[in-house]
Amino acid sequence: MTVPFDSWLALLLATDAPALPTPFVMQLWLRLGWSVVLAWMGVVAMGRLAPVSARQGAWQLTVAGLLAMSAWLPGPYSPAYWLGLAFQAPSVVTALLCAAVLVERLSPSCAAQGAATAPNRLKTAFAFTGVVAGWALLLDTFALLPLQLYAWGFSPAAVGLVVLVAAVLWVVLGGGPQALRARTWVVPMALLVFAAWRLPTGNVWDAVLDPWLWVALHVCLIRRVLRTFW
Amino acid sequence: MALMLQSPFPPALRRLLFALVASCAILGLDIWQRPLVTAQASAQWPADTAVPDLTRLQVQAGGEIPMPAGMAAAHASSLLPMPSGDAASLSVFWFSGDRESGPNVQIAASQYDRSTQQWSPARFVVNRFVMAEQLGYGLRRLGNPVAWLDGGGRVHLFVVATGWGGWAASRVLHLRQSSPGRGLAELAFEPVRVLPLSWLWNTSFLVRNAPLALADGGMVLPVHFELGIKYPTALRFDNAGGYRGMVRVSQRLHLLQPSLVMQSAHAWLAFMRDERPQGKVTVARTTDAGMHWSDLPDLTLDNPDAAVAGLGLAEGQMLLAHNSSIASRGTLDLSRSADGRDWTLVKTLERGGHDDEYSYPAMAWLDGALWVTYTVDRHRIAWQRLAAAPSAGTKP
Repeated sequence: MTVPFDSWLALLLATDAPALPTPFVMQLWLRLGWSVVLAWMGVVAMGRLAPVSARQGAWQLTVAGLLAMSAWLPGPYSPAYWLGLAFQAPSVVTALLCAAVLVERLSPSCAAQGAATAPNRLKTAFAFTGVVAGWALLLDTFALLPLQLYAWGFSPAAVGLVVLVAAVLWVVLGGGPQALRARTWVVPMALLVFAAWRLPTGNVWDAVLDPWLWVALHVCLIRRVLRTFW
Repeated sequence: MALMLQSPFPPALRRLLFALVASCAILGLDIWQRPLVTAQASAQWPADTAVPDLTRLQVQAGGEIPMPAGMAAAHASSLLPMPSGDAASLSVFWFSGDRESGPNVQIAASQYDRSTQQWSPARFVVNRFVMAEQLGYGLRRLGNPVAWLDGGGRVHLFVVATGWGGWAASRVLHLRQSSPGRGLAELAFEPVRVLPLSWLWNTSFLVRNAPLALADGGMVLPVHFELGIKYPTALRFDNAGGYRGMVRVSQRLHLLQPSLVMQSAHAWLAFMRDERPQGKVTVARTTDAGMHWSDLPDLTLDNPDAAVAGLGLAEGQMLLAHNSSIASRGTLDLSRSADGRDWTLVKTLERGGHDDEYSYPAMAWLDGALWVTYTVDRHRIAWQRLAAAPSAGTKP
C-alpha cells in the first residue's frame, strides 16, 4: 500500500496534531532548565564581579552547585517557582548553551583549550537567524503577520525546517572537536530533546528560541556589528 | 586494520550523510510522537429535542446563586449542563474573592439539584496556591473559568491565571477533574498544563465564553489575546481534552471574548465584544468548521465594550445575550436571529440605571429550557430559566 503524496504533505503541514509534554516532564524541565540557567548566571556573575581569588574553579563550582540546587527547593522557596510564574520554562537551546558555557568554565581541560572557536561569520549568522526569527514570532504574537507562525510551530514541517537549518550549519562548519567547542551541536541536540520529550511546550519555536535568548542574540549581533565597523 | 576502517567517502560527504540520517531520525521521532491528524470538525446542536418557538420564551424561574461565605466579589460565570444520570442538572462556576483580581480569588461552584430544584451552597473548587504547588510555579491571580464535559464525562475547567502583571499577563490554565465523581461535595481538579498559546512567555491569552461542542466529543474553545491589541482565536480539543491546535478568528485588532455559535455542522459564527468607543457587536464566520475565518460587517447591535454570549439551537435559531446600551452595562437583552445578521429582541433580562451592571452572560440549553447566568454589580451571580409559554389554544 502506498500513501499518496498529498497525504504526506498534509501530515507534514498539519498544525492540529501536536504532541505536548506530560505534566511530569514539564515540571521536571522547569526545575532542570532554570537550575542550569541559574548556575550559568552565578558563574558569569562571579567571573565579572568577584575578586580574582574567588574566580577559581572550586568557588565557581560551589556557587554554580548551590544555585542549581536552589531550583529544586519546594514551592515558593525555589527561584524556579517565581521564574516560571513570570517566564514559564527556558528553551532547550538556552539551557544547553548555558550548560556548554558551564562545562567550559568549570572543566579544567575545556578551559585550557580556550573559548569556542566557531568562525565569526557563523556566529553572526546564528545570531542573525535567531534575531529575525524572534522578530517574526513577536510580530505574530501581535497578529501583525499574515500567517500564523506560532501555530505553525506545532506542525512537523516547522520541525523539519529547523532541522534543515541546523543540519546545514553543522555540515558547513564540519565535525570534530572544533565543532563540539563551537557549540554547533546545541540546536540539533535541542531538536532531539524536543522530538523525544516535546519540551518545553510541544511547540518547536519554544524549544529553540525564548524571548531572553532572543534579547541576548541582539546583544551578540550588535557587538559583532560594532566590532566590524568600529 | 586502520586501512579497513577507512571510509570510502570524503569527509564533507560523510558529514552530509550523517546530517541527513540524523535529520531523518529526529523528524521520524517527532512524527511518531504525534497523534493522528484530526478529521474535519463537525459541530453538534445543544438541543436534543425540538426547539420551541423562541418568540414565546418567558422567564419561569430566577434568582441569585448562593455565594461563598464572606466573599464580596463575584464575576464571569460559566454554565455546564450535566449528564442526565447526575443528581444535579447544571453546574455553574465563577470567580469569587474579596475583590476582583484580589489575592484570595478562587473558583467557586454551585450545582442545581434536580430533585429540590435549588442551587446548592457554593464551594470553592480551585485554589491558586494548590494549583501552583502542583504545577511547580506560581499563579498570581485567578480569573474567568470556562467549564466543559469531555467524551468520557470528566469535567474540564479552563481558567484565566495571571503571571507577572495584570490581566494582560494572563495565561489559560487547563484543569481536569481529579475526583471520582462530579458531585459538588467531592468535585476536585488537577492541572493538565498552561496552554501553549504565545511565544512571548506564553502571555497574554484569556478565556471567557463556552466552547462549541463537536460531534466527535471534542470541542472548540474561544479565547482572545489582549496585550495592547485584542484579537480572537479558536482552540480545538479532542474528546479526551487533548489540545489539537489554534486558529486566529479575525484580522481585526479590537475584538475580544468570542462566543461561537453554530449555523450548521461546518458553518459557525463568532460574536465578539468590541473595545472601541461606540462599538457594535462584531462577527466573523467560518464555513469550513474553523479552519479559516473571515470578518463580517458589524451588527447593528450596540456593544458597550461588554461580553456577549451566543447559542445556536437549531438551523435558523440563534440567541444572543448582550448589553444593549452605549457606554453602560445597565441593560441586558436577549435577542434572536435566523441568519446571525438581523436580530430581534426576545426579552430584556435586566434593566437598571446607567451605573448598574448586569454583565458577562452565560447561556445553556437544557431539557427544553434556556438557562442564563450573569454578573450583578460584580458582587453576585444571578440566574434565569426561560421556556416557551404555551401558545393560545394549547392545553396546559
